[in-house]
Amino acid sequence: MLKLSEDMKRAVVIFISATIIFSMLAYVAVTPRPKEQFFQIYVLGEKRMAERYYPENNSDIPVGRLVQWYLGTTNFMGSVQYVVIKVKLGNSTINAPDDINYIPSPAPVLLEFRRVLMDNETWEFPFAWMIGEVREDGNMIHAGVLVINVKNGVEVRSGEASAVKGYNFRIIFELWTLDPLTEDLMFGWRAGGEQRAAWLQIWFNATKPMSS
Amino acid sequence: MRDKLSLLGIVLLALIAMLVALASLCGTQNVDSHALASSGVSQAINGANAEFKGALKAVREAEVAGADKQRIATLVEQLNSVLRMIDEAESLLLQGNVTEADAMAERTIEISKRIGSDAVELRDETSLKTFYDKIFTFSMAPVASLLVTVGAHYGWKWWRRREVERMMRMEIKKVKEPEEEK
Repeated sequence: MLKLSEDMKRAVVIFISATIIFSMLAYVAVTPRPKEQFFQIYVLGEKRMAERYYPENNSDIPVGRLVQWYLGTTNFMGSVQYVVIKVKLGNSTINAPDDINYIPSPAPVLLEFRRVLMDNETWEFPFAWMIGEVREDGNMIHAGVLVINVKNGVEVRSGEASAVKGYNFRIIFELWTLDPLTEDLMFGWRAGGEQRAAWLQIWFNATKPMSS
Repeated sequence: MRDKLSLLGIVLLALIAMLVALASLCGTQNVDSHALASSGVSQAINGANAEFKGALKAVREAEVAGADKQRIATLVEQLNSVLRMIDEAESLLLQGNVTEADAMAERTIEISKRIGSDAVELRDETSLKTFYDKIFTFSMAPVASLLVTVGAHYGWKWWRRREVERMMRMEIKKVKEPEEEK
């Protein structure tokens, strides 16, 4: 049997211990650290602050008055992501998006904004809209609201919704992403094996234009 | 005379009916050809969307492989330009401008294919580099351990020698007891 001197034994023990420690350090260095994966979505008012969402701070929006918001989203998923912001127009009776079961709102989609985002990238863009017309329908006094998004100076007809007496319309913003498993768009996103969702809504009332 | 007039009337009515039928047939054929063209463009736009998804997948794979952020950013910018073009093709189709919409969709397919192939190339290149980097990093572990072992060995030896020398320099001093002092 090979007999090792005390010095040799000590050297072997130090070498093995150091190899284990340095291998662990190398593993930590080459393995990306897990971090919380999420998206952020926000809407800002006309001054790019979380205030003044309505002209003159009045949620009764007259026909033809331009409302300027800024929509934004930030990717904290740790990788490149394809995001779609769906803008929907609804009233008080239509279902809001379901955070628990991850069901989007059944309100009709007015517009979709799509973009590929890098990790930690924020995408902010103006969203200007106005009520094109208000119609009264019978005794119930429904107001038909035509929201027109003004995109790059071009008016894009968007959609219509009704509400009793024109009260409690809402514009819903839903964040959709491309599911890496199914390669289809999904409401919210998948992180660490579970689904999450983010959405926003802003309420307003539609008012008729002043009769001359 | 009356018979002749009624015969002429019948012939005229038949002629008018034939003309109306012909006009309506022509109209239907136009609508059909337009519908066919629209569905063709819709297919082109669907193809553009599918190709875009393929390119996006390739870019994601390149990113996972550890590609340089700057190069990924360039590919992402190109993907966003493809998205803008698809949006434009869709709005052209809605406006009824079928030819331009089709041309735009075809162009996006070409760009997406190019992005996809660039991303695959980047992924392969990066995978190889990352593999060699990992091998280098892990191979540094025994090298560093060897340096530490040699350092520890000679450090231990030096410390031992110093301790022995210190021991050798020691002198036995006689401590005076209090009783002796008296």
